[in-house]
Parts: sequence; structure tokens; C-alpha cells
Amino acid sequence: MAGLTITEKILSRIEGRPVRAGEIIYPRPELVTVHDWYVVNFDRALQEAGVTKLFDPSRVLISTDHEPLAVTPQSSERQKRVREIVAKYGITQFYDVGRGGLGHVFPVEMGIVRPGMFVLAYDVHVTNYGAVGVLGIPLVVEISEVLALGSVWLKVPETIRVNLHGKLPAGSSVRDAAQKLIADLGDELVDYRVVEFGGDGLAHLDIPSRHTLCNTPIDIGAKSALVEPDEMTRAYVAARTDVPFEMVRSDDDATFARVIDYDLSNLSPQVALPPTPDRVVEVEQVVGKTIHHAFVGSCASGNLPDLRDAARILVGRRVHPDVRLYVTPATQEVAREAAREGLIEIFYAAGATLTTPGCGPCAGGRIGAMADGEVSINTGTRNDTGRLVAKQTEIYLASPLTVAASAVNGRITDPRTMLGGGA
Amino acid sequence: MNWIYRGRCWKFGDNLGIDGDIMPLRFALEREMNAEVLAPFLMDGIEPGFAAKVKPGDIIVGGKRFGQGNPHIQGFLGIQGNGLGLVAVSIPRGSLRNAVNAGLPFLVGCEGVGDLCETGDELDVNFETGLFRNITRGTEHQYDPIAPELRAIVALGGWKESFHKRLAETAS
Repeated sequence: MAGLTITEKILSRIEGRPVRAGEIIYPRPELVTVHDWYVVNFDRALQEAGVTKLFDPSRVLISTDHEPLAVTPQSSERQKRVREIVAKYGITQFYDVGRGGLGHVFPVEMGIVRPGMFVLAYDVHVTNYGAVGVLGIPLVVEISEVLALGSVWLKVPETIRVNLHGKLPAGSSVRDAAQKLIADLGDELVDYRVVEFGGDGLAHLDIPSRHTLCNTPIDIGAKSALVEPDEMTRAYVAARTDVPFEMVRSDDDATFARVIDYDLSNLSPQVALPPTPDRVVEVEQVVGKTIHHAFVGSCASGNLPDLRDAARILVGRRVHPDVRLYVTPATQEVAREAAREGLIEIFYAAGATLTTPGCGPCAGGRIGAMADGEVSINTGTRNDTGRLVAKQTEIYLASPLTVAASAVNGRITDPRTMLGGGA
Repeated sequence: MNWIYRGRCWKFGDNLGIDGDIMPLRFALEREMNAEVLAPFLMDGIEPGFAAKVKPGDIIVGGKRFGQGNPHIQGFLGIQGNGLGLVAVSIPRGSLRNAVNAGLPFLVGCEGVGDLCETGDELDVNFETGLFRNITRGTEHQYDPIAPELRAIVALGGWKESFHKRLAETAS
């Protein structure tokens, strides 16, 4: 009998028996996460069903990250409703305004999620937890069923193993790799499959970088993404929690739908063209395009190394007079570290605008939106037409280095031209 | 529930978008969940007037990645609201869940189905066994039906009905 993948092992532990890809099961998650924009909706669905108690309120985590800064009467009202609903159901893990930040990121940072855990969520980018070997799977309406009954059907997904090799060259970052990778894998291959990262190239990618790797595959239809935990994972998580955890790795003879070797050492900066994140080209093909709006942040690229990259470009420079640049640290902790390191000072000196930790403009442009006729380059997760409100717009996605360089020049720019020889 | 649909074939190509092609996006943004409201707008983006031409029991034959895009359920509710069945080469992750959630009888993983029929052919499809028959051509092909666990949800009418049934069973 062939060995098991990480995904099969995690779900087998949850089920208490060996399960394999293709089986339909009802696994009970160890954590369920929901963000501020769906709490009122799940409460309505539960009320319609006559549900008054959650399956386990201590396993539910709510984060106010999509709209932490209430800028309309409706959003203040919704925040109030969320607080009432949290209290009504006795949900203890509630990270409200100013407490945690982006719910796809801070649970990793705080050691709330640990290698080998199984998480269900409302919102697709729960896959970020895969940075520390967590299996996070998103649902839509069925999250209400999970909250009430503790489970919903799940077909155990197959896995695509991606072995990373080499080290990214100067001027390229993990965002470039993550974007290029989904373009190269393609939606047909990843559909309903988990993308599992391994290989010697991981040694050069820190935990925040692994968030980025695990963030992009879901946008072309993957079931989830995770990184095989290694010694870096162990050290990172052990520093954040006293709860024991198991480093779940795939067996050598596990059955993968495909095994891919992926070399990072020649990767140049990549830009995703509108209107989908997998329309990826080399930066050279779009250099010179005039921009008006730029943003560094989101669950894809709002961690400390992302902010450091932006600051490397912005230090001693100014954002172009025709461009507004928003910077959103993903979490309270990222913002605090950025302040301590002096990054915030660099951003302000450059003429950037800082926003409160969370999703930032990426959450549908409730803050920092675009107007018709404008072009944005940003590090958000998606570039669908109208993602940042106005429809007559173009949104390009790129790394923090490329976004910051473009913000300085007012045109899409290859960041390698601004980093100097030793960068 | 009746798993056997006999009616006309309506064939579409690959990569039909759930938003825009199969159902106007505005219904997703309005979170419209009433299949009767959605039914008249089915395929409005690619074939206006489509809903007026179909009859209950007709079958949509889709290609690869039927219902691709941000997984909104409205398009599948629209198919179900017209009393149609669906046979597709592939359906992406989120949309496949939504086809089940909408209580839609469907077959998926039907490689080559586009070569077995043309729009206007009379089809007879058994969604419980996976038997696909083209009456006009006098041909048949055996596909895999969806898993019995998912057929049970479809038979109940979809996600909400299935959820409420599980709740009742848990309470008793």
C-alpha cells in the first residue's frame, strides 16, 4: 500500500482511520475562521435553521480585517452586530479592531495554528496557514453547517508536489515566484488539488515568504496549499506556542497527482496583467506603463519582509507626484516591527500613506479605491475588473519591490534598475 | 427524486464563466438565492433569451471548467430553476460544491461528451447511474455518476435542505 501525503495524513488523524484521495468524509476541523464580512450572514443562516449554539465556540476565530476602519454608518453598524453575535454564541477567539490584524496571517504569527492542524474557513486565503504545514480549506455557504454541526462533506483532495530548487536572484522576490508558479502550473492541473511545497529551495524561504507561496494557488482553483514543515518551521512555531505539535510530512512513497521540480535561481520580476492573477509576464513587457495608484500589503504580500522590500526602494526617494501609494502592514505585530525597524519612517518620508493593519485596499477597495481611467500596480491577491471599485480601470499585480519602484517613477518599473549593484 | 432526464441537448464550449456567462454578476452581489428569480436570466451573457427556449428535462452539455470564476451559486440555481440537468467535462472546485448546494442533477468528468451530441439532439441521461444516451444518434456512453453522498444532498434539494435534515437528525 502506497504511503500518504501530508493532506491524507492530517485528514486520517482527524477521522481516526486512514483516508485517501477521492473519499468523501465529514472531518471535524480544529479551528474555524470567519471574517468580519460574513458573521452577520452566518448568523442569519443559523437563525433560519433554528440553531442557537455553535458546535464548539472555542474552536471559532473571528477577525475584523476586511473593514477594520468603519468609514460608513453601515459598517459601524455591522461591526456592532458582529460584536453582539460573537457575544451571543460565546466565541472566545475574537480579534476585533486593533487586536490581531489580518486573519490569514496573525494566527500563524501568534502560534494559534500549528503544523498538522486542520482548519476550515470562510474566505479562500486561509491557505496561508499552509506556511507552517497547516491544512486550511475554504468553504462558502456551508461554513454555517460547520459552525452548527462541526463538519460538512469534503472530498479528500489529491496533491501536486512542487519541489523548489535554487535561490531567488537579487531584485526578484517570492511574490514573483508565487505568481509565475500559478501561471506555469495552470488551472486545469491544480483544480481540486492541494499544492504541497518541498525541496532544497525552501531553505532560502522564511515563514513569511511561505505565506506568499501558499496564497496564490487558490486563485486558480486549488483546494489548498501547504509547505512541508522543516526545521525552520519547528523553530518558528516552538517560539510561539507551548502546545505540542506534530511535523506532518509526506511519505516517500506517497501518491502524488504530479511531481514538479521548479528552479527559482533564474526568476526575473513578474507582473500579472489584468484581469486575472495568472496572466503573468516578465516585467520588461509592461515597463513604462503610467500608473496612478499603488499598494503594498494584503495576505499575499503584507508581511515584514514585504515591507522591508518596499522600504529598500523607497529609502531616500519620493513617491511620484501623480501616484498615491498605500502601505498596509498585515498585522498589528508586522506594523509594530516595521515601526521598530524604522520602515514606517521611510514610508512617511517617501510620501506613502499607511493604513491600519488588515486587508487594506485589497478587500474590495473600501479604503483607498480607484477612480475610472486609473491604473494601479499593487501586491493584492486579485486584479479582477472592478476589484478596487471603479470599472474603467486596470490592475497589475507584482512584488513589493516592483510596486515600490513603480510608485517612485509613476510608471511600471523593473526594480533591478533601482537597487544598485550590491542589492 | 427523478434522476432520469429526457430532453433536448444544449451544448456549450469550454470555460463558461459562472459570473457573466452563466448568470449576470449582479445577482451574486445581491446574494439572490431564489431559483425562480434567477431562472429567466440563465446564459443571459452569452445567449440572451436562452431560458425562454428550454424546457424542463432538457440537458446542458458543458465543456472544460464549466462555471469557472469566483464560486457564486446563482448560475447553478438558475439551471436548477429551469428544470435542466447538466453534463460537463469538468467543473472547478468551488463551483462543483455549488452545483451540489443548488440541488442540481449533474454528471462531471465526462471526457469527450462534446463529441457525443449536438444542440438539438434528443438525450436521455440517468444522473443516478451515469448512463448518457443520445436518442437522435442511437448511441450511448457510460460515465461515472457523482458520489452517493453528494447524490443524497442533491436528492434532498441542495445544501440548505441537507443541512436542516442533519440538524434534525442530530437533535433527535
